[in-house]
Amino acid sequence: MNCVELQKSLAEIEDGSASEQQAHLKSCPECSALVAELNRITSAAIELRAADEPSPRVWNSIEIALRQEGLIHAPLVGRSLIPSFGSRWAWTRWAVPAAAVLLITVGVYVHQRSLPVQVARNAAQPAVSAAVSGLETTGLNDDDLLQEISQQTPALRAQYEDNLRRANQYIEDAQSDVAANPNDEEAHRSLLAAYQQKAMLFELALDRSLP
Amino acid sequence: MSGRTIKLAAIGALMAGTLVAQTHKELHFNVGARAVVSVNNPYGSISVKPSAGNTVSVSAVLSSDKVEIDSNQTGNRVDIQSHLLPGANEQSGHVDYEILVPADASVSLHSTTGPLRAERLHGDMTLEGSAAIVDVRDITDAHVHVKTLNGPVTLTNVIEGHVEVDSLSGAITLNRVTGPLVQVISTSGGINYTGDFGDGGEYRLTSHSGDIEATVPEYTSADVSARSVKGEVHDDIPLQPKQHTSFIVKEGSAFVGTMGRAAVSSTVVLRSFSGKIHLRKRTAK
Repeated sequence: MNCVELQKSLAEIEDGSASEQQAHLKSCPECSALVAELNRITSAAIELRAADEPSPRVWNSIEIALRQEGLIHAPLVGRSLIPSFGSRWAWTRWAVPAAAVLLITVGVYVHQRSLPVQVARNAAQPAVSAAVSGLETTGLNDDDLLQEISQQTPALRAQYEDNLRRANQYIEDAQSDVAANPNDEEAHRSLLAAYQQKAMLFELALDRSLP
Repeated sequence: MSGRTIKLAAIGALMAGTLVAQTHKELHFNVGARAVVSVNNPYGSISVKPSAGNTVSVSAVLSSDKVEIDSNQTGNRVDIQSHLLPGANEQSGHVDYEILVPADASVSLHSTTGPLRAERLHGDMTLEGSAAIVDVRDITDAHVHVKTLNGPVTLTNVIEGHVEVDSLSGAITLNRVTGPLVQVISTSGGINYTGDFGDGGEYRLTSHSGDIEATVPEYTSADVSARSVKGEVHDDIPLQPKQHTSFIVKEGSAFVGTMGRAAVSSTVVLRSFSGKIHLRKRTAK
């Protein structure tokens, strides 16, 4: 079993406990780290659903996962890449990637399972709910984001504003389509995709390399 | 001194200044199999190609002394970071990277402006950049993940890939991209797929308002489902209709069916809200 086969097999046996998976994991630190990370994220996601306010352990797990992925780094002295958010924004450094991780995770799970429509719909609905909840609990606010971009990089404001408007329209249309076609698995997937697009917009906007 | 002389002198001084300010830096790292290479370059290009041995070679052109290169190797992982110093902007903080990595290395490239380019590799790769032009080609057996805000994305000859492309408004072009999973999501960018959808893969091309066009050869085998909520849907290829669908197949706005041999077919889902969807037959040259 190679890396690609193992990652495909995770859709069936998610915790990497099958004998073939175990054999590969013993010899592949990357896949081993991936499985450990998936287990951590799954645990974290369960806790996110269970609590109104996620415990610090959840954020720590996500932070560790993001560091291992190389998506974030420890801040460097004198580094000016991250916008200098005040305390009002400090928490969003983790909240936004957390929302993105949550969206990606539920997206991967929904995507990889080839289920009958009814089962898929049942799976997609909580996934979308979780996605919505993820965005809402992080308190992401379009105006705040645009205001911050205006202060840090005024030249990019129009670009982000336009894309934000389009992403919101996407979500609105996808919601209408789900309401009109509740049995359409693809409508549910599209709604999830719409939320993913908005999460990505925030992720890119607050990214470490935003000038 | 004439006006023309002054102008020439000024241009010369500017050019000399640029030449003096630009510096070239080379870095080399010895790595093992399946190395991980991460490059974060806010302003400027990153190009990654395969190296001959187990080395990572970095060649960087820095536009000024307002930017430095921080590098770090931890075991099999190499991190490269363009470090902007106070006062740096898009021009003075610009760095262009040419990087050679072992072909099986996993790479993560990040640049706001780009362009980002990766070719002839078979390790997993992530390319991210708001406005970056992304060009990925000749990749086999790899996960390819791309994210852009409005930068156009082109993938060419990506075989047996696990491909995920997300762009808010950049145009996305896939040429001969096949694999177990090919997923493209866009809000307003157009999506253009040219290829045969491989064997047994899952292909999902979704855009909110962008047009989706898939051009396939006659021998293609695929179960195709296409639907645009408000846009038009056109199909140049005769499909064997499906009995059961999860949505109402309305003439002109959706079609569902099988082309070619169903036994080896891939699943293809084309979805838009207000964009047009067009499934075309590739004409023989």
